[in-house]
Amino acid sequence: MSLVSDSDTFSLRSFLVRYGFLVIIAAFFAFFSLYTGSFLSGTNLLNIIEGSSILLILALGMTLVVALGGIDLSVGIAFDMGAAFAIVAMKEYDAAWYVAILIGIGGGVLVGLLNAFLVVKLSVSPFLATLGTFFIGSSVQRIFTGGGGPISHRQAPMEYRNLAIGDVFGIPSEVIIAAVVLLIYFIFLERSIFGKRIHAIGLQKTAALVAGIKVNKYIALGFIIAAATCAIGGMIGSANLRMFTPLAGFSYLLDAIAAVFIGASIHPHGRPNVPGTLIGVLFLGMVANGLNLMGLDFNTKDALSGLILVGALAIAVAQKRLR
Amino acid sequence: MNMPKNDDAHVLSMAGISKSFPGVQALDGASLFVAPGEIHGLVGENGAGKSTIIKVLAGVYERDSGTVTINSTVYETLTPASVHAAGVRFIHQELHLVPHFTVAESVFMGQEITGIFGIDRKTMNDRAAAFLSETLHIDIAPNTLIRDLGIAERKLVQIARALIDNKASIVVFDEPTAPLAMAEIEQLFTAIRHLKERGIAIIYVSHYLGEITQLCDRVTIFRNGKDVAVESNIDEGSSDSIIRHMVGRELAALYPNKHHAVETPLLKLTGLSGDGQFSDIDLTVGKGEIVGLGGLIGSGREELTDTIYGLRQPTSGSIELDGRALSITAPSTAVEAGIVLVPRDRRHDGLVLDLSVGDNINLASLEEIANLWLEDRKSAARRSDELSEKLDIRPRNSSALTRFLSGGNQQKVVLARWLATGSKLFILDEPTVGVDIGAKVEIYQLIEDLAAQGAGIIVSSSDPAELLGLCDRVAVLMRGKLIADRPTGSLDIDSLIALTTGFETTGDAA
Repeated sequence: MSLVSDSDTFSLRSFLVRYGFLVIIAAFFAFFSLYTGSFLSGTNLLNIIEGSSILLILALGMTLVVALGGIDLSVGIAFDMGAAFAIVAMKEYDAAWYVAILIGIGGGVLVGLLNAFLVVKLSVSPFLATLGTFFIGSSVQRIFTGGGGPISHRQAPMEYRNLAIGDVFGIPSEVIIAAVVLLIYFIFLERSIFGKRIHAIGLQKTAALVAGIKVNKYIALGFIIAAATCAIGGMIGSANLRMFTPLAGFSYLLDAIAAVFIGASIHPHGRPNVPGTLIGVLFLGMVANGLNLMGLDFNTKDALSGLILVGALAIAVAQKRLR
Repeated sequence: MNMPKNDDAHVLSMAGISKSFPGVQALDGASLFVAPGEIHGLVGENGAGKSTIIKVLAGVYERDSGTVTINSTVYETLTPASVHAAGVRFIHQELHLVPHFTVAESVFMGQEITGIFGIDRKTMNDRAAAFLSETLHIDIAPNTLIRDLGIAERKLVQIARALIDNKASIVVFDEPTAPLAMAEIEQLFTAIRHLKERGIAIIYVSHYLGEITQLCDRVTIFRNGKDVAVESNIDEGSSDSIIRHMVGRELAALYPNKHHAVETPLLKLTGLSGDGQFSDIDLTVGKGEIVGLGGLIGSGREELTDTIYGLRQPTSGSIELDGRALSITAPSTAVEAGIVLVPRDRRHDGLVLDLSVGDNINLASLEEIANLWLEDRKSAARRSDELSEKLDIRPRNSSALTRFLSGGNQQKVVLARWLATGSKLFILDEPTVGVDIGAKVEIYQLIEDLAAQGAGIIVSSSDPAELLGLCDRVAVLMRGKLIADRPTGSLDIDSLIALTTGFETTGDAA
């Protein structure tokens, strides 16, 4: 690339296009810092991070599926199944906490297996396959709970509850769990040869197949790993409330999709990626927190999230045109 | 770079134009000067920068540096609208005409003539017919539907549409003859010469040197993003010097010398059949042997190579490699067994265009550049750099996006990937389609080297000269049957074409 541009004058337009998203983040950050006294405090910043942990875990699962060229509308179902299987195992079968966690992950894996079967074996498109799983999973939860009432387990063992309320040197355990999941996903997707193959499949499936990559195996495993990851998020949620709340996972779906695509829009080649997803999640968390502190109607949050997503994608398109 | 002495002499001056894409310098100080009323050819190999400079002129790409002067006006920035207003028109390769519109409707689409009763059809019909006959010297009834016209006539309608407002001073033709038959090309050339007589400058971009020497007054030759020469007084004899400038050196023999000593068989197909597409194919390929596969489209040639590679499943028969029967269920099993495919559609099937050159080269041998499944970026870069060097892939930049490479360089990336795996059998499906002549020679030499090192090679091609020049034997498919399997020494172009098209007489060709 030539360093000398055709005009020596500073062009506000091309600056905004190139660094648009960082400018928006900085603007929001400055705005909330100025207009609310408490936004910039250490406690509040930790609040944002803690409040974003579960969304980050689900968004990472979503990143994996989107990187493979698909989408997963059933992340909320995997979240719910993780919580339901773990709580029921402890409450009804006296399972030890660590066994319950494994069973919870198993609940997520079942959701992933169904998606993988539909997409790989029956060649249903990921959008429709996971939409089907979403409908089926929602209905199963309502039937099982007699219409959607929560399954509460007040005597959940302390070790299980610590998934949500514990801490290590003052850092909340859900932040630590999310950080570990983040690190694993980063190494897996961005540094390992599996990640390279996954990105190749997502970018151009036929070319990946002809290059000798076992495309179907990766897509199936991707759905399963993503669902298992979401189940971890579900268990943290249930550990916090000591209950399984049916359909609770749904509230994360749209934010997770938004975070992944915000993350992709800030990648130089527009690819879904782990660091980008982290930025997307933190940004959405920051906006929700800031609006809350300003005492604004919580319902404005979704409108703003939508605007941010559309804005990020528009900037990404403008960047492509600039090149 | 060639600087003009007097800029008034030029209707278009593009001087010192540079344009880069991530990792690729598409134009590097290139210039193009066009005089009024001349037909100016623009030639160069794929990736030389012809289409990039045309897109800069069209306002599609924003240039990084350089000046553009159209009709003595300097343009700091070009947009499609400002270029149109300056009198530059583009006749693209694609037609973009609506089949069930009439000729007049197509000519005036977007610039309809309206009277007090809305669209004035009569005036539009009259003016379209007049323009076609006076300017392009062809008589087409203006109320004919586009779908009833031949391709050349449609092309002329496309030209009329671009020029009907009589404000054009420069017309750019981008590969206009690609879909045309021989006689239709003459018709188009006549029309272009009439435009020239009206004082309109023509820029004519083409791969076909025959057309260039026949039509153009002057020719600018591009190589590696620069203008390397301008040739005047063009005639039939100019071809040689144009080619020399395009390639940058004298062309050696197109095909390498063959010296294969075929001893042991490598691949053996016995009675291979596939779902009605081909049946009962017996074929062997020896170690160090190059076997050509000829046949028309629909002969089963594509399905046969896809089946050997596991993209399709055979219905019966067997595939043996090195004496072992293989059950190839997917490309991954073929690659593990040592069989690789260079597909005919490299942009769709061969390459992940939005991955880097290095990633595409390493994609099939990732285990070898990994430490415990983590990519070792240093050894990945070393491997891809070595292969880029060996195959002369340009730009020599492993982190460039593969999308921005020219056809020949993209094909080299696919080949480099399979060289890295050290495979035994290479299936090359139309290996030089869309590849310029310089890269063609290099790819042929590479294929020959692979065979010399003991690999077995199948070259499936619709180019009879390529089959004869490159291969030891040619097997010909027709309607799914193997109808001939002969040493190339016993064939010539005519007899091979006769074989593939089914005009073969009895007995072997002499």
